[in-house]
Amino acid sequence: MLPQLITSVRCGQCYSHSDDHCQGPPGSSTMAPPSMVSTEQRQHAEHVFLSFRKSKSPFAICKTINLSLTKCLFVFPSSLQKYVREQILLAVAVIVKRGSLDKSISCKSIFHEVGQLISSGNPTVQTLACSILTALLSEFSSSSKTSSIGLSMEFHGNCKRLFQEEGLRQIFMLTMEVLQEFSRRENLNAQMSCVFQRYLALANQATQNVTLKPTETWREALLDTRIMDLFFTVHRKIREDSDMAQDSLQCLAQLASMHGPIFPDESAQISYLAHLVEGLLSMINGIEIEDSEAVGISNIISNLITMFPRSVLTALPSELFTSFINCLTLLTCSFGRSAALEEVLDKDDMVYMDAYDKLLESWLTLVQDEEHFPRGCFVQPAIQVFNSYIQCHLAAPDGTRNLSVNGISSHDEEEINELQEDDRELFSDQLSSIGMLGRVAADHCIPLLTSLLEDRVTRLHGQLQRTQQHLMASSDLGSVDRKVLDDLYEDIHWLILVSGYLLADDPQGETPLIPSEVMEFSIKHSTEVDINTTLQILGSPGEKASSIPGCNRTDSVIRLLSAVLRTSEVESRATRASLTELLSPQMGKDIVWFLRRWAKTYLLVDEKLYEQISMPLSTAFGADTEGAQWIVGYLLEKVINNLSVWSSEAELANDTVELLVTLVEKRERANIVVQCESWWNLAKQFASRSPPLHLLSSSVQRSLMKALVLGGFAHMDSDTKQQYWAEVLHPLQQRFLNLINQENFAQISQEEAVKQEIVATLEALCGIAEATQIDNVASLFSFLMDFLSSCIGLMEVYSNTPETINLIIEVFVEVAHKQICYLGESMKLYEACLTLLQVYSKNNQSRKRSDATAEEDQYQDLLLIMELLTNLLSKEFIDFSDTDEVFRNQDQGTPASSRTVSAADVVLYGVNIVLPLMSQDLLKFPSLCNQYYKLITFICEIFPEKIPQLPEDLFKSLMFSLELGMTSMSSEISQLCLEALSPLAEQCAKNQKDSPLFIATRHFLKLVFDMLVLQKHNTEMTVAAGEALYTLVCLHQAEYSELVETLLSSQRDAVIYQRLADAFNKLTASSTPPTMDRKQKVAFLKSLEEFVANVGGLLCVK
Amino acid sequence: MGNTQSIMADDDFTSGDSGASATYPVQCSSLRKNGFVMLKGHPCKIVDMTTSKTGKHGHAKVHLTGLDIFTQKKYEDICPSTHNMDVPNVTRKDYQVVDLAEGYLTLMDDGGETREDLKVPEGDLGKDIEKRVASGENFMVSVMKAIDDEHVVGIKNMTS
Repeated sequence: MLPQLITSVRCGQCYSHSDDHCQGPPGSSTMAPPSMVSTEQRQHAEHVFLSFRKSKSPFAICKTINLSLTKCLFVFPSSLQKYVREQILLAVAVIVKRGSLDKSISCKSIFHEVGQLISSGNPTVQTLACSILTALLSEFSSSSKTSSIGLSMEFHGNCKRLFQEEGLRQIFMLTMEVLQEFSRRENLNAQMSCVFQRYLALANQATQNVTLKPTETWREALLDTRIMDLFFTVHRKIREDSDMAQDSLQCLAQLASMHGPIFPDESAQISYLAHLVEGLLSMINGIEIEDSEAVGISNIISNLITMFPRSVLTALPSELFTSFINCLTLLTCSFGRSAALEEVLDKDDMVYMDAYDKLLESWLTLVQDEEHFPRGCFVQPAIQVFNSYIQCHLAAPDGTRNLSVNGISSHDEEEINELQEDDRELFSDQLSSIGMLGRVAADHCIPLLTSLLEDRVTRLHGQLQRTQQHLMASSDLGSVDRKVLDDLYEDIHWLILVSGYLLADDPQGETPLIPSEVMEFSIKHSTEVDINTTLQILGSPGEKASSIPGCNRTDSVIRLLSAVLRTSEVESRATRASLTELLSPQMGKDIVWFLRRWAKTYLLVDEKLYEQISMPLSTAFGADTEGAQWIVGYLLEKVINNLSVWSSEAELANDTVELLVTLVEKRERANIVVQCESWWNLAKQFASRSPPLHLLSSSVQRSLMKALVLGGFAHMDSDTKQQYWAEVLHPLQQRFLNLINQENFAQISQEEAVKQEIVATLEALCGIAEATQIDNVASLFSFLMDFLSSCIGLMEVYSNTPETINLIIEVFVEVAHKQICYLGESMKLYEACLTLLQVYSKNNQSRKRSDATAEEDQYQDLLLIMELLTNLLSKEFIDFSDTDEVFRNQDQGTPASSRTVSAADVVLYGVNIVLPLMSQDLLKFPSLCNQYYKLITFICEIFPEKIPQLPEDLFKSLMFSLELGMTSMSSEISQLCLEALSPLAEQCAKNQKDSPLFIATRHFLKLVFDMLVLQKHNTEMTVAAGEALYTLVCLHQAEYSELVETLLSSQRDAVIYQRLADAFNKLTASSTPPTMDRKQKVAFLKSLEEFVANVGGLLCVK
Repeated sequence: MGNTQSIMADDDFTSGDSGASATYPVQCSSLRKNGFVMLKGHPCKIVDMTTSKTGKHGHAKVHLTGLDIFTQKKYEDICPSTHNMDVPNVTRKDYQVVDLAEGYLTLMDDGGETREDLKVPEGDLGKDIEKRVASGENFMVSVMKAIDDEHVVGIKNMTS
């Protein structure tokens, strides 16, 4: 170390008295022209600088060097390799940083000198100045870019704070100076524009933050309108250069996000915003926007709409506000069109799509706060944006979809794989915004959608008829031109998606309400509406809407639903005419998706939930109305038809069965459903396992079973109910029992038909479990229990067929998952699970696993077993059962003889199976890893008393797993492991010392101590780690003191030593001697928070 | 047996241990991963199954990837999801190993019937079997049968 430092000092001295000689040929190796610098020499020089950065107390040396530093920076030959220059500057920045804290180097003088460099007017020198500022900025401003120089995070943090108060503004002002100068020039040559670009990038960096929230000290700098004007001017000058334009727009976007104490009052904020909007408008209105500007401009707009309070926005002069909204409208429509073009051209970089998304999001923000703005001010803009969206998504001649610039439409048939998201999810943000705008302008948008959709449906009907005739003549499907059909399908696709998003929301877990705008719209027109004609339109989906007399006097909201029903009807009729091959499964999905979303909101509309209700809507869809009954029947028919026709389209069948579940999951709707004959037919058909329902995929069959069971809990008289269950569940049981009770079952069990029957039964059982609700759990559980014991028998029979074994375990997983929290008599389930595990274990004793070709789903059974065990344990946390029976108490309280099986028995038995099979390789599979750690944490938390009783090797691998999880897995898993430690330590405290668990916890004490004190850890983990630490400290007080002593004794710096020692004293002051007491623990955690804030950065070194 | 008949009423084959047809048709969409299917004339276990469509409004096609259950060779096929695919009847049965002579095993089923028509499989599995027989160990093998082929596919320890 020493010789290197001496070299550095010598270099420094050399620089310090060399003002004149610096102009001449460089005298030392670092200053030699690049051609003369050998690799070795360069490496040496680099080494010197690096040693600077690493050495612990270079302040004195730095001081010596300091004076000369900035002077010598002049001397860099312009040809010096960029890399070397940047390295040197970085070292300089580090030196400045080190010197800054003890004031041995003053930033002021550096900025002064840099200022001189800038004013030199020499582009080369200015570039150098820019590099210096950039280096300083990146060294000081962010913790990620900070060089690793072996100093505490606390030091880095202090530097950053100090720098932000002073240095940053200096840099900003210097940068502004350069930009000012450049913006005044008429022409920039290549070199100068390069310098310009660097400064612009620097300005961007200096203001870079998520949002700009400068302190009051920046007031003078940033509230000066000339600064904002400068950025607009600069942008105008360089906007054709896409890289520079991005920087300048980003700067403007930052200015648009400005908020906080910099504004002395609201009026300052208003005039700032007014100036910004004026500047923006004059910038946009004068130009044709470049591709590279789209995202930047939309960021500016989005920032100002999000960051400025509504009161400030509305306080803008009304003309200015109107111009802004108009400009935003035009811009949105234009970006939307360009985004559509990008899609046609299949561009990789969808800049307009991003910009369009941003603007639509801004609209949503504005419209959601509509009440703050002048009434109706968004209606016209909403109409324009909505129209342009529709236009971009419809085919010519009404729309422009797939039209490239020259007006030629493209129609390519690309391969779409199953992973591609459906448009309704892919574009859900856009569609939400458009739906919201559609509501704002409901008067225009709802009738528009209706007439467009009705028109497309009529055309689709005609086209299908013509195609049918064509097929009668030629019967060759290949000869059908699908272009016309596909265009219609795509039009209908978008119209239905927009209608769905306009008419209803799809909130998770709560009852969706009819949007107030839609309700008001319907009410407003209800006096002009003829209810009977409306109902007639609704009830005749097979007829053309326009052919019904008086069709203009119908409720538009109902009419839009009717248009979708007409689409659905054309589809259904085509399937009956054997034209299914011509139909679009995508359109089929759209229809049932819409109907489901609609039904959740409108069907059996509950008047109590609304302040006022539309007569047409309540007459058509209210409770106890013919309309509601009719539509339930219609939807059921649709579902049944789809399930038989579309079994080969998995997603469509899935969407369809989801519609069915929606119809029965609410008791009120289910009450109507079970009155329909078709529902009973569906139930019988499914129970008989006859075609076409048995062709459905397993997940669809499960959901179908779930729906059928849910329906069984609707209101029926007791005879009917009995009959229903006799139709739905009993056949399942009968068939199953008949089959497995055959004498030769073991022999025929491998026959495909028998296996299929078994698999179908198991799937159905999962579906039944899924239908569990709090009020049906008792009857469903007793029904399922009968099966569970038979299923265990199947484990033996099918021990050779892993897929069947997995399915059997899955049944248990589902039952435990859905029912355990409600069960008063969970004992039976524990018993069944224990037997299941015993059989599994017996059958797997000799089974070898070849790790070579390890694949996640090879371990499906392990995953399922862990899931099962975790589900069983979850009762400890979530228990809705009436009885107070808590299994753990029972385990301890009742005498062993009367006790049967406890959760602990099952889970520990399961762990005995799982633990030996879990290898480190297996933990590389995320799902296995997560499930495994979830399980072992649960066990430690719930049965800590069982842990010391584990067999030695099991115990060891459990402890190893915990350590591994704590130290080398994701933070989520690390947190789980930390949570497992406290209960283990508490358990230890109760029992004998020097048990293996006691020794293990001592090891964990050191691990947690190091983690909290020495390593940079996730702050979210502080609480979990703190709790673990506290209980471990209670258990091992002597060892803890030792750890603290060792740490303190390794400190060389007396100040740091004292601070640390004080901090450690304070940490345990409130809890001496530490005891396992909640109050003390809370006090400790609080002190720990202070400890981490105070000295946390001191020991953590970067 | 009456009940099994009704289960199978929809299928175009009759039940019985020996009379079962070698394959039966299944709608492509209702095949599942880890199930069996005939690919290019080979009985395969499905290791991957994905769907795709041509154009947004096209109908689903199923891409099947399977490994020949005997040779482990990979086969692939694409078919419209509405079409039927042949599924082989695959059965597994465990036998106790009695003897090994000239590359052929003597096996006994749980009814005491013996057979001597199955070869010792190639590779590690075969070596393992030979070693166990040589050391006089009591053990069982799993035999898988599909189409007209039958092979020893695994070793099991005696369970009882």
